[in-house]
Amino acid sequence: MPVRNFSIIAHIDHGKSTLADRLLQATRAVSDREARDQLLDSMDLERERGITIKASAVTVNHHYDGEDYQLNFIDTPGHVDFAYEVSRALTACEGAVLVVDAAQGVEAQTVANAYLAVENNLELIPVVNKIDLPAADPDRVAMEIEQVLGLPAEDCIYCSAKTGQGIQELLDAICKRFESPRPSQIEQSRSLVFDSHYDDYRGVIVYVRNFDGGLKTGDRIRMMSTGRTWTITELGRYTPRPEKVKSLGHGEVGYLVAAIKTIDDVRVGDTITLELDPAEEPLPGYEEPQQMVFCDFYPATADGGSGKKGEFEALREAIEKLRLNDSSFTYEVQHSEALGFGFRCGFLGLLHMEIVQERLEREGGVEIVQTAPTVTYRVKTTSEETIEIHNPADLPDPSQIIDILEPIVKIEVICPEESIGELMRLCDGRRGEFRGQVYISDNRQMLTWEIPLAEIIYDFYDKLKSITRGYGTMDYELIDFRADRLSKVSILVNGEAVEALSLICHKNLAEQRSRSILKKLRKQIDRHQFEIALQAAIGGKIIARESIKAVRKNVTAKCYGGDVSRKRKLLEKQKAGKKRMKTVGSVNIPQEAFLSILEQNE
Amino acid sequence: MGSRIQLAQCTPDQAKVPDVEPGGISSFLAPTTPVEGLYVHVPFCRHRCHYCDFFTIAGREDAFDAYVDRLKSEIRASASCIQGPLQTVFIGGGTPTILPPKLLAEVLQEIRSALPVASDCEWSVEANPETVTPEIAAALADGGVTRVSLGAQSFQPERLKALERRHDPATVERSLQRLRSAGIDELSLDLIFAIPGQTLAQWESDLDIAVGLGIRHLSAYSLIYEQGTPLTRRRDRGEVAPIPEDLEAAMFEHAIRRLDAEGMRHYEVSNWAIPGSECRHNLLYWRNQDWWPIGPGASGHVQGIRWKNVPRLGLYLEGQGLPPVTRPEQLDEDGRIGEAFMMGLRLLQGIPVQRLESLLACGDRSGARRRAIEGHVADGHLIMDAVSLRFTPRGLMVADSIMVDLL
Repeated sequence: MPVRNFSIIAHIDHGKSTLADRLLQATRAVSDREARDQLLDSMDLERERGITIKASAVTVNHHYDGEDYQLNFIDTPGHVDFAYEVSRALTACEGAVLVVDAAQGVEAQTVANAYLAVENNLELIPVVNKIDLPAADPDRVAMEIEQVLGLPAEDCIYCSAKTGQGIQELLDAICKRFESPRPSQIEQSRSLVFDSHYDDYRGVIVYVRNFDGGLKTGDRIRMMSTGRTWTITELGRYTPRPEKVKSLGHGEVGYLVAAIKTIDDVRVGDTITLELDPAEEPLPGYEEPQQMVFCDFYPATADGGSGKKGEFEALREAIEKLRLNDSSFTYEVQHSEALGFGFRCGFLGLLHMEIVQERLEREGGVEIVQTAPTVTYRVKTTSEETIEIHNPADLPDPSQIIDILEPIVKIEVICPEESIGELMRLCDGRRGEFRGQVYISDNRQMLTWEIPLAEIIYDFYDKLKSITRGYGTMDYELIDFRADRLSKVSILVNGEAVEALSLICHKNLAEQRSRSILKKLRKQIDRHQFEIALQAAIGGKIIARESIKAVRKNVTAKCYGGDVSRKRKLLEKQKAGKKRMKTVGSVNIPQEAFLSILEQNE
Repeated sequence: MGSRIQLAQCTPDQAKVPDVEPGGISSFLAPTTPVEGLYVHVPFCRHRCHYCDFFTIAGREDAFDAYVDRLKSEIRASASCIQGPLQTVFIGGGTPTILPPKLLAEVLQEIRSALPVASDCEWSVEANPETVTPEIAAALADGGVTRVSLGAQSFQPERLKALERRHDPATVERSLQRLRSAGIDELSLDLIFAIPGQTLAQWESDLDIAVGLGIRHLSAYSLIYEQGTPLTRRRDRGEVAPIPEDLEAAMFEHAIRRLDAEGMRHYEVSNWAIPGSECRHNLLYWRNQDWWPIGPGASGHVQGIRWKNVPRLGLYLEGQGLPPVTRPEQLDEDGRIGEAFMMGLRLLQGIPVQRLESLLACGDRSGARRRAIEGHVADGHLIMDAVSLRFTPRGLMVADSIMVDLL
């Protein structure tokens, strides 16, 4: 049976999952009665957010031109944070269906995903979806696809995943236009791991695409990056219900179970070969996922220093459990004098961070205090080392620093023309370098900047959305680490540096940022019985200062007609509040100050 | 589990739920108890002022007779618990003088006949200026009242309005005259400062007028935004702006200077008196002595137990004898020591050295308290000498911040 391996790629909300469901229905893989919306997204969170986080693969059959085809449909995450996973999923395919919303047109992630597919040498079938919408303008959208991506407008298939219009045509095109899997290049067996997930009963379920040779139950397999070996206990395909098979042939896609206990034993992008007759070289392109964004998670009710471990343990359990299914975030125990015990976590990107936080709270039932995200810096030291740091407090002494390099991303923004001016100003203020402008349609353009990641991780996306009144879309991609005039700004409270408040910042922006931070701190710290000096410093040089005047009066006038208990309880409340604070010198700093300070919306 | 939590949240006010059945408090105490003071609560007011968080009720003139009957029943019932002699009797509110003179006289008479009152007992009554008629003044004097505290609050009509007080400032002087003519000389005024919109000049003028009236005692309270009051809600909505802290501090400092110049001794955070005219009843509170509460919403302290009569008029009127109480509380030694510091330091003479030593000798936190005291002495907030531990003028201004460390 001829095999077609393909993915559907799209900008978020352009109807990818609905289209996938409709394809399953049209091939009778799912009966109409069984059809649920977005069948492929198994997690509630994915369903709610309308995004697909983890890839899975479904096999269906389609009859075309007198022949039965096996269609292996590999689902991909829809966001660039998961670019590596998308890229692995695409590697497993020969073709990709590029879905574009007939009303909204080409958006930033449309472009990013299309580029990824092209980089992976995939055939693209552009699909204009949602043509049933009143605002649909399929011809204009087809022209945009031609304009931006160079795919001829007449190649576009118009369809509506909702009504089913154009679906048969699309299935036919998949059989006709996508290529068969390439023939085996070597005699030994090689399969690509393009995804995995953890199942409570069976351990890790590994998704594979056979490139050379095939796999069968009972095979002793070896993971080529680690050299570890396992025995296949189960092979199968999702149709979309799991169906066990004895073997998976050349070019085919399916899952395997091999009593693998932890997801860390399975690396997406790794190559599986047979232990008895192993391949010498793995399939090309495996790399470790790179965490780019870091933040701390603390239990929300952390009681600084009082040794209350319950919430921390609950958070640890939730993190460990989530990690079973997502090996792309990292965590390590962190202790903050202000916030107690927590974890410093690394993520592929901003969305990834948000998703992890939400899943911890929802699935793990823990409440989390999240500090503001920071990026990874590379520091070149006088001892000719390059160290990576994720926390300003870890910076070496300034005398040992030659250069601080920061991650630079290329961002592509598609927006209405009238927002361009304001967007330019936004990016200028964030050290962005304008790189180009592409006309998309009458009133929309695609703009490109290179910009430090640190500048976009706080509130950039919100600002972009408000400037473009919701119409702007953005995608970003890490391109480089570059040195800039970065320095560590220390925050001093009554002359004492508070490490948890320090930040890394560009020298030109340091003064302005420091001033805004000190202003926030001034609001958060109560007046004390003495004046408090708040200062920001680079090295020994003070660049901003504020002061909190001494409290003038804090004495309860009346005594509540002898209701002494009440008065005592009021004071006890003050006392408890004081206990939860971090004391620097003799200044009490509330927890909130440590969090608010990290919001950088000037 | 879930439904149980919800039930608890649905209870309108936990403080209204009696923890101890009527009369039950007596089971906590030794059969007869040496008690130095008596507090009687009269919750009625013409109008409930928006800053007030005491247990008060407006518009229940119809309940006066029943209330006084009920008070008399409680007074008689408490006789078996109280071993006198009572050194002080304090009738507070609310507005005790809202009661008709006849009823007020009945209450005073019942106390005198049912309870062991010392011959030199201090009898204080709180009054609002507009309620002091010649008949009331006579009823108080005839009932043996020795001291009246008059809620003047301010002499500025605008500020009175801001407090929702309804009297004409001129009635203050008239009331004082009526009380004096009736033979009551120990007269005190209550003033409030830090009223929204108040200037320092207005406050100075209020104090000038007050001292010009020849009073022997003055209480000056800064306006407190109590949780749950309409005033606090207005502040939270931004409809009322509290005066700046610095101005409030300046007002307090001015009061200290001005009253001292008049020969009125600052003897407690908010109280000034010509020596010998201090309110003996309030001193009981600050010295952690024992007093017995009468009436709904009244708090008492006897044998280390603090409690409060359930503040509900309907429930009170239904019963007889000792009323149900809420929140009975017996602190451990450490808690009692903390309280002793909290209350004792409010007196400007402070905590006498001998008592201080006995307080510091016990309790879980004696070491921590000693260190806190030393720290605040070094900072210039406290003085510790051969006589007592007490606030410096600077420490007094931030007394709450310091007491927190000694709790």
